[in-house]
Amino acid sequence: MLIPRRVKHRKQHHPGRSGAASGGTRVTFGEFGIQALEPAYLTNRQIESARIAINRRIRRGGKVWINVYPDRPITKKPAETRMGSGKGSPEWWVANIKPGRVLFELSFPNEVVAREALTRAIHKLPMKCRIVTREVGE
Amino acid sequence: MSEVRISAEPRTEFGKGGARRTRRAGKVPAVLYGHGTDPRHISLPAREFERALHTEGGANVLLSLDIEGGNELALPKSIQRDPIRGSIEHVDLILVRRGEKITVEVPIQLTGEVTPGGLVDHQLTTLSVSAEATHIPSGFEVPIGGLEIGGSVHAKEVELPSGTELVTDGDAVVVHVLAAPTAEQMEGDLDAEAAAPPAEAAAGTGDVTPDTESGEGGPAESADTAAGE
Repeated sequence: MLIPRRVKHRKQHHPGRSGAASGGTRVTFGEFGIQALEPAYLTNRQIESARIAINRRIRRGGKVWINVYPDRPITKKPAETRMGSGKGSPEWWVANIKPGRVLFELSFPNEVVAREALTRAIHKLPMKCRIVTREVGE
Repeated sequence: MSEVRISAEPRTEFGKGGARRTRRAGKVPAVLYGHGTDPRHISLPAREFERALHTEGGANVLLSLDIEGGNELALPKSIQRDPIRGSIEHVDLILVRRGEKITVEVPIQLTGEVTPGGLVDHQLTTLSVSAEATHIPSGFEVPIGGLEIGGSVHAKEVELPSGTELVTDGDAVVVHVLAAPTAEQMEGDLDAEAAAPPAEAAAGTGDVTPDTESGEGGPAESADTAAGE
């Protein structure tokens, strides 16, 4: 599971949810990719779950790239706690995803299987996504 | 490669407001520069320009622009697209002259089937070449059918049409065939991860250096809590 080894500040403000992705919006390493269409906090567990879904479907002969990293801590106060008394304890690590961001990339010779693997991975993700392919030129 | 004729209009409105009005009118804001001339702000018809990009030339299509009675030859240098909708937001066009040699990025297409048990690592998807503005190749085909595992194709081994010179480093690897990980290796990875201790993940509290902790939840805060209740 992806977790930062060391962080400068243990508790951070909530990452901003507005706007669209300004980079990482194209498939650059593989041939197919998963592109987010909505903003979301993507947890390390969801990333791992999607990666496993892809690997289980392609089995062999492919390569997977994960283009996002969960480096933002999200805190939570315990249940039945009164307000105040400082910020809660870090609970999740998330990647702040904005629409347009390519999350995963896949290189696999069989397009049908590749799309099926990515569809299975999309089911593990908390936002609407679509499958995109590498654009030639531009 | 044939030219695509497009009528362009000079643009008088600038900034995001003006650009958005231009896009709403079915046009694409563009800028035309090169050969030491001052940049000219123009707008292109969106559908015609999109169609031009789908001709043989692709992103290196040679445009013949009709602007205010004059005619200019230009090539798209940079195309900005909306990441979600894919619509063109802005285009940079660079002026070219007939017979002039220019450096362009030409896409590479892989042909043939990879050898069984191999995994294609396509490292260079475009080659930078120098060619005449009116004779830009539309793409290069690289056959990978005969490549064994561990084999590779370098930029200098790609067949170029006459009049085209390679600008990219000749020793750069275009495509490389690796041994694909076996099913056992991939399952092994998954098993190892499943066996790993469940995330002390409570957001990596143990992974943070003690210095970053500033005594939160300490006695003072407990006292506050008690007082608050």
